Amino acid sequence: MAEFWEFIREPFFITLWIVAILVPLLLGVAYLTYAERKIIGYMQVRIGPNRVGPRGWLQPIADALKLLMKEIIVPQNSNRFLFLIAPMISIAPALAAWAVMPFTDRLVLANIDASLLYILALTSMGVYGVIIAGWASNSKYAFLGAMRSAAQIVAYEIAMGFALVGVLIAGGSLNLVDIVQAQQGSLVHWFWLPLFPLFLVYFISGVAETNRAPFDVAEGESEIVAGFHVEYSGMAFAVFFLAEYANMILIAALAALMFLGGWLSPFEGTWFESWFAWVPGIFWLLVKTSLFLFCFLWFRATFPRYRYDQIMRLGWKVFIPITIVWIVVAGGLVVGEVGPWFN
Amino acid sequence: MGFERFVFYVFAVILVYAAARVITVRNPVHAVLHLVLAFFTCAGLWLLLEAEFLAITLVLVYVGAVMVLFLFVVMMLDINVSPLREGFVKYLPMGFVVALLIFAEMFMVLGVKNFGAQAVAIPERHGADYSNTREIGNVLYTDYVYPFEIASVILLVAIIAAIALTMRRRPDTRSQDPVAQVAVRREDRVRLVKMKTEEKSG
Amino acid sequence: MIALSDYLILGAILFGLSVAGIFLNRKNVIILLMAIELMLLAVNMNFIAFSYFLGDIAGQVFVFFILTVAAAEAAIGLAILVVLFRNRQTINVDDLDTMKG
Repeated sequence: MAEFWEFIREPFFITLWIVAILVPLLLGVAYLTYAERKIIGYMQVRIGPNRVGPRGWLQPIADALKLLMKEIIVPQNSNRFLFLIAPMISIAPALAAWAVMPFTDRLVLANIDASLLYILALTSMGVYGVIIAGWASNSKYAFLGAMRSAAQIVAYEIAMGFALVGVLIAGGSLNLVDIVQAQQGSLVHWFWLPLFPLFLVYFISGVAETNRAPFDVAEGESEIVAGFHVEYSGMAFAVFFLAEYANMILIAALAALMFLGGWLSPFEGTWFESWFAWVPGIFWLLVKTSLFLFCFLWFRATFPRYRYDQIMRLGWKVFIPITIVWIVVAGGLVVGEVGPWFN
Repeated sequence: MGFERFVFYVFAVILVYAAARVITVRNPVHAVLHLVLAFFTCAGLWLLLEAEFLAITLVLVYVGAVMVLFLFVVMMLDINVSPLREGFVKYLPMGFVVALLIFAEMFMVLGVKNFGAQAVAIPERHGADYSNTREIGNVLYTDYVYPFEIASVILLVAIIAAIALTMRRRPDTRSQDPVAQVAVRREDRVRLVKMKTEEKSG
Repeated sequence: MIALSDYLILGAILFGLSVAGIFLNRKNVIILLMAIELMLLAVNMNFIAFSYFLGDIAGQVFVFFILTVAAAEAAIGLAILVVLFRNRQTINVDDLDTMKG
């Protein structure tokens, strides 16, 4: 028995870890949808959901239950296997990327060397869910949405990858923990300042990668109904929804880690630093992530949808040149040991 | 049978299955998807060989970029598959024999006798402080720095060639010129006209 | 434990399959391109296996270069394919028997 426990111990604890990450994540996704409706509601001088539970707090649970009860309709002449596997393909990388996400310098499930590369590789796989869903649905709208989304994701992937190259030049590592620790010092030591153009490019590319407004031409309700998931219903639709929001949280958390110092306190290096010494690092990470998530929602409430050729132009002709130039600048800053960041 | 061996066989079986499907399925889209599966399982096998950097790069470059390109092309081109399948059955025995011959030759050279566990010792696993990425970087930017530069030039040539080949100007399409749109000034569009107020009729 | 020969035989099976693929699908340029990718994958597998078992990182550097070149090859190959289809409305190898473009 003891031998068996020895064999099972590590997988057991890893499974516990995974549950401990995924349950809050999925709860976060559920309440992000609630926050989205509430925040956009207030921005548009409405109240938003307010009927289910006190102040509508149970609304996401009710939505999830409703979607669970609904029938999954498989269209005629669609490819049944691919049609059903597409939502899973789209959510699996969105969740698997969290395996290397550090929450504090010690609180990380898999602290691998190339964690940034791993996240980039997994987020680049998310596009398959969209393409397969669009193709397997055997519907023109779905196919158009899938093609739009695929071209858009590939274009912004490059800008995003280049922005990350700048970060890893500045941090001197592919490991996310090391990257955060390289930003120690104070608020101005964080990488948002020396890498400001990359910071903007990264976050806007992140919005485009997740197909969020104003880059949501893949869904484009007014043009192609709902794009790639037009034929999906019930839980299959909900899984696409989950994947989109999990990706949003991932992008926001990554932006917080790479440009806003992750779990580092914003009051570091000030005279009242010790007042906030009791605050756990994970709290700061959550605050910074929420800040970016709020921006996601804010964009959606503010900007009209881009035209498709404008999206492509922005990605290829504006962002990629900016990132390439700034990689050279970042290299110069690191080699020249320009302070206060790189000395 | 250890866990590692189990993982190896699972990946190997999936890999061979996917590769076999790539060359036999009717629909090119399915072939591309099976090739994606093959690349993905191969990355898993490379992880067993402690080549983390290359395994992740394989997923990033092949699964994330090259195969998306393939899928794109296959889906966008309106290909009539049936004439392309002509001769599939005719060449089946031939292809099978050639593949079997190649495999048999390789098996004789690469088999257990020459490269088995007795012939080539299985190396110890590296500790947790071993960084495959660092090792590759160490040689890539010192011993192999010129080949590395040449590789980047090859990629540049590929980018330019791909764009030059597929780019076509279509003068008959009506498109907007964003530069002209942004450069528009108020004076170009709005004209203020001074005129007398209209008299009330009647 | 898994010996070097296991990986090499797996690579050989993969290579044999891709050669068979070239024979079977000799009319379909896309499948031909994919078979070439598979072949390169088999070669890469052998390189990495040797690199691990001989403790020499140079094998992995070589795989890195093969990946680069193969990505370039795939991009140009697909570009040619698209141009071909645009001009001829076919990708059947049999129909590509004129020198005039």
